[in-house]
Amino acid sequence: MTKSMNSTTDKNFIESRRSFLKGTAYSVAGATLATGVFKTVADTPASAETKFTPTPSTLAFYPPLEEWDSFTELDGNDWKRGGTSRNGVQSEENPDGIKATEYMLVPTACSNCEASCGLTAWVDLSTYKAGGQLAVRKYMGNPLHAGSRGRNCAKGYATQSQMYDPDRIPFPLKRAPGSKRGEGKWIRTTWDEAMAEIGKKMHDTLKKGDEISKKSIMYHVGRPNENGFGHRVPHSLGVDGYDSHTNICSAGARQGTIQWTNDDRNSPDWANAKLIFLQSSHAADAGHYFQQAAGRIADARKKGAKLVVMDPRLSNSAGMADLWVPVWPGTETALYLYLANRILNEKGINGEDLVNHEFVRNWVNWDELMNNREYLALLVEKGYIKSVPAGNSYEDFIEMAKEMYSPYTLDFVAEECRIEKRIVEKLYDMFIDAGARVATYIWRAGPIGHKGGWMIARSAFLPFVLRGAMAGDKGGVGLHHWHVISVNGKGDKATEAGDAPGKVDVWNELAWPPEYPLSSYEMSHILPHLLLDDEWRAKWNSKGLNVPEKLAVWIPRMYNPVWINPDGFRWIEALKREDKIEMSFNLSPTWSETNWFCDYILPTGLAGERHDQHSEATEPKRWLSFRNPALRVALEKMGWKPKDPTRATLEAHIKAGLGEIWEEVEFWANIMVHHVDPDGSLGIRKHWASKEDPSRAVTIAEWYQAAFDHLPNLRAAAKAAYPDSKYPNYEMMRDRGTWLEEANIYKPQERPLKKEGDAYISHGHRYEAHEVEKTEFGTLVVTDHHTGEKQAIGIELDGKVMEGFHTRSKKLEFFSSYFAEWKWPEYAVPIYPTTKEDREKMTHVVTQVHHDFMTKENEFALNTIFRLPYNIHTRSVNSKHLMEISQNHNPIWINTEDAKRLNIKRGDAIKVTITDTVSGLESGYFIAMAVPTEATMPGVLANSHHAGRWKLKNAVEIPGFEHKLGVMGLGAPLYEMTMDGKVGTLKPKEGLDQGMQARRDTWQFKEYNKDLDNIWWDGLSGSWQNAVAASHPDPVAGNHAWHQKVSIEPAGKEDQIGDIWVNYENNMKVYQAWRDKLTRPLAKGDTLRRPKHIKRPAVPLSHKAYSVEITD
Amino acid sequence: MEQMKHDIENRIALYGLVSRLMLIEVNDAFLDTIESDEAMLALFPNYQHWKKRKELGRKELIDQYYNVDFTNLFLMHLVPYESFYTREDQMIESGGDNPVIALYNELDFRVELDRARVVSADHIGVELEFMYMLCTAQKRALEAGDKEGICELFEVQRAFLKEHLLEWAPMFLINAKRESRTPLYHDGAELTLEFLLSDFEYITQMLSDYCTKEMENV
Repeated sequence: MTKSMNSTTDKNFIESRRSFLKGTAYSVAGATLATGVFKTVADTPASAETKFTPTPSTLAFYPPLEEWDSFTELDGNDWKRGGTSRNGVQSEENPDGIKATEYMLVPTACSNCEASCGLTAWVDLSTYKAGGQLAVRKYMGNPLHAGSRGRNCAKGYATQSQMYDPDRIPFPLKRAPGSKRGEGKWIRTTWDEAMAEIGKKMHDTLKKGDEISKKSIMYHVGRPNENGFGHRVPHSLGVDGYDSHTNICSAGARQGTIQWTNDDRNSPDWANAKLIFLQSSHAADAGHYFQQAAGRIADARKKGAKLVVMDPRLSNSAGMADLWVPVWPGTETALYLYLANRILNEKGINGEDLVNHEFVRNWVNWDELMNNREYLALLVEKGYIKSVPAGNSYEDFIEMAKEMYSPYTLDFVAEECRIEKRIVEKLYDMFIDAGARVATYIWRAGPIGHKGGWMIARSAFLPFVLRGAMAGDKGGVGLHHWHVISVNGKGDKATEAGDAPGKVDVWNELAWPPEYPLSSYEMSHILPHLLLDDEWRAKWNSKGLNVPEKLAVWIPRMYNPVWINPDGFRWIEALKREDKIEMSFNLSPTWSETNWFCDYILPTGLAGERHDQHSEATEPKRWLSFRNPALRVALEKMGWKPKDPTRATLEAHIKAGLGEIWEEVEFWANIMVHHVDPDGSLGIRKHWASKEDPSRAVTIAEWYQAAFDHLPNLRAAAKAAYPDSKYPNYEMMRDRGTWLEEANIYKPQERPLKKEGDAYISHGHRYEAHEVEKTEFGTLVVTDHHTGEKQAIGIELDGKVMEGFHTRSKKLEFFSSYFAEWKWPEYAVPIYPTTKEDREKMTHVVTQVHHDFMTKENEFALNTIFRLPYNIHTRSVNSKHLMEISQNHNPIWINTEDAKRLNIKRGDAIKVTITDTVSGLESGYFIAMAVPTEATMPGVLANSHHAGRWKLKNAVEIPGFEHKLGVMGLGAPLYEMTMDGKVGTLKPKEGLDQGMQARRDTWQFKEYNKDLDNIWWDGLSGSWQNAVAASHPDPVAGNHAWHQKVSIEPAGKEDQIGDIWVNYENNMKVYQAWRDKLTRPLAKGDTLRRPKHIKRPAVPLSHKAYSVEITD
Repeated sequence: MEQMKHDIENRIALYGLVSRLMLIEVNDAFLDTIESDEAMLALFPNYQHWKKRKELGRKELIDQYYNVDFTNLFLMHLVPYESFYTREDQMIESGGDNPVIALYNELDFRVELDRARVVSADHIGVELEFMYMLCTAQKRALEAGDKEGICELFEVQRAFLKEHLLEWAPMFLINAKRESRTPLYHDGAELTLEFLLSDFEYITQMLSDYCTKEMENV
């Protein structure tokens, strides 16, 4: 205890701990080590009286709603300076005090990913009232939002830097007359000129009134972030002209889900689950529905839930999971069927059955299958079972299922998925332990990566069904349409017509080619291929179809297909052809690779600059967000009035100095009324003209008053809160930005089917009881007198009549009868081949990157489709914050053992060559940086396709405008491009940092962007790999199968990271091979284009449109 | 008196040392200081005999070992803030409602967070430096013969240790010791913990022995 600290022989520090102060004099220098972070402030003025709380008592603090129109907040530097208690509030008498700013909080919703988290735009009133410009100073959360609960991720807060992007497009642009598309020559135009020219072209096209004219306008929508308005645009034009981006996004998962449920996505209850089972990094890392899902998953984990992440890559989620399940990409089906096998064939620890018989017996269409003896015989023929079951009881079904899934053994799954057995066994134990409380969201990753990716989703739900986890109950999995609100396109009552437009009578083969009758969504990723494929068009025209040879108007909306779709050079080729796409305009807030090849760029608003109703199924609730243009709302609340109330958003943005930024709702209403159909002769005008004053377009207040009127609870609350308002629904949503229509939505399939007197009410329709028949399986059906088609409206179970699921049987469909009828009988139940021979026969459900195809030591499966959590596909290039944090984050991940074998070191440039396994053709290569890591499984490379933006000019000169307009200065370096119709190349020329500093005088919003001097990144760490990839249209779901078989080698001396070389002539042949070798097209004798009960998204079509006759 | 002066100077030196170690990355000057003083070096017994110190250059050690460990312990994997340990929601309270900051304010001390490079004034390094400041003040009181001031400062120190540092720092330091990957931070964490405990005993003893005696006995 008194041992001297001077003793250097002291071995036991603990023994000496009491002797710190005894007998030792530490060096005086010791005292000087202190950092000196304290400052005594005796000279500080006495504390000032203030109404401000230095810090809210909780971090979740938000100003109360009643103060949103005027809330004064201390400057952000307050905390560094000691707060008002030391310095007081700034005033004339106290100039050194803390600055206080009066804000108006205008609620809106984030539009960066799809989750639609609530935001509040903080509009600075102090500066405006002092004579300065009206501006948003920051975006924060919206505490009223039931989904996001006031929270946001980095992308939400980045809305601010996107709004004041130094390269924001300030006014409408038009390709300079006399120049070619892609030359980069632009002139300034006005919204009115653009509307007049575009409107005339649309008018002239539609005036012809023939079938082809109704296939000649295409509205091509990137992620919509709204519910139904975009659909109404082509619908009201009477055209089959909607192309979504879904076939490069989620169509694979949707296909598998549709087969089970006739709903196109599932909707988990994360918060109450015992096991969170993620396939991919979606939900917890990024994407559907990142911040909200991650928060609910965290809530569940706090309550003890376990997290499993199945992903060949150790994502952020996998890194913090209880179990990481790395499987060979595309073989996930095998693992799900292994789980099914064990659930069916094993018992629980107490000897009980693991199948939830009550649920399966009642809610799965086993009865339909067991009574279809012909189909059972096919299962025997295919070798799935040995013989047709003798009986047709539920027990017979279970016995048959036991046999059918018994080949999916532990040995098989370990070999097929290239996974350690112990992991699979642990996964099974965790799955069983959670009972029916297992939540998942089957979305991207596997289902969109592979040929037959849809079968991954199809099979994934099987173990969930068997355990009763698909009942839509607490902690399990429900369905999308139960949890979502779609009224954005339903403002019809505010229009002169007063009702929705009628069904469209044509079928557009450019969106729904006859090879893909079951495609989940439009085949938009092969639009340029179809336009340029004369042989294909001639073939189908000779068979009696009327395939358009060109588009009159192509309208991308916030979409950048040139960059984000596969085979980008083919897109450019099509866009350059003015005989194929006669006119094009992009409604887009930013520059993009696609805009470069369009005729007009019309700058529309970002999250706080537009109106949308947006809702997503993020949990068992129905909530909605309402996007507001913050500057417009602030101006209007301060008494400003627009000259033209139908163009208030545009006028407000001009007044506030944001630029000539508009929004789609007002744009479409105006162009339709004044330019597309000015005299009403096309029958379009009345759907957009105001009921109150048919001489003008409908206003925002009118439209949303009518749209929100479809929601009874919202309507009642608005009436109560705004009793004297003409537009209470609109005003309440303008002021709150969000609404929770219904919570705790569990097991809605068990709700009693509504009955009024002698009639059943289903989905708003009335069916007289005497017209309703009951099938042998208990399904209630009605027959359409015109077409003879039967439609299911409910189901009777144990004497109770219930709503049921959305399928034809009103049950979950283990057996998808329509799928069998539509030429794919061998895949009408969840199934997967177990031998190499079977994999060749059943190629439609085997990934193009299966390990069977990897025969050389430098051949790999390339995993391309994980998101970077702070990037938004192609929408982040306008945010300095997101660009900064995402730099250098996208190398090629390669397993350390593979790297060692191939002598690849961290930072090495490698050449990645893509070869298609269906056609055997090579697509070309890209050069990327390798990073060896344990975080990707051996044999699988990972490289997100979200990096590698490019531009061909740093800035463009606009005649008559004083400054050049910068092009994507924060995120896209300068490249050189060559293309000759067969081969395309791209080579980096200059980093973006150089480009930005060289044109400092062109930056807009200079005060906000004064930190751009700090740009340290050159943006040159990624490659445009999407362009190298050929389109791989899945023969069933139609989606692009993203993953690629690649071979790698060290880059050559001349190669640099970012180089690409593409044989896009070969890529055309690859798409054709997938189409011709794999699909089962419509043929003579087919009478319909597609099963009518599978809803075709977007534009409602008539029976005439569905009908088809294929001739020889 | 001399003994007390000696004690206070040692306490100042030790609080200066540990606060510096916990607040920012080490540099040449810091390492020179501890290595040039045998008594101080003895407080880092494992570090003293660590082979790598002889094998590698100072820059390599700092860049590849000490800074990596610092980042892990103070920025990434552990949370060196009192409010994280004391608030139910485990949030870091960076504003005026933080009781530690309220205490600093009351005593006219201000933390320059930008200099400290921390997000809140209840960082372990800042709290240790606060003890250093209190000891320095105590030395001035001693030099002025102000027994009342000395004892008042003992009271403040005792209260600050009892209500703040000892409420949470042991948990952090035990974790830091366990998670550390270099002898420097391993020994540093142990040293800090042991010193805090012994200093609390020392202060308690001084309050009962010294501060209860009559002034003239000083």
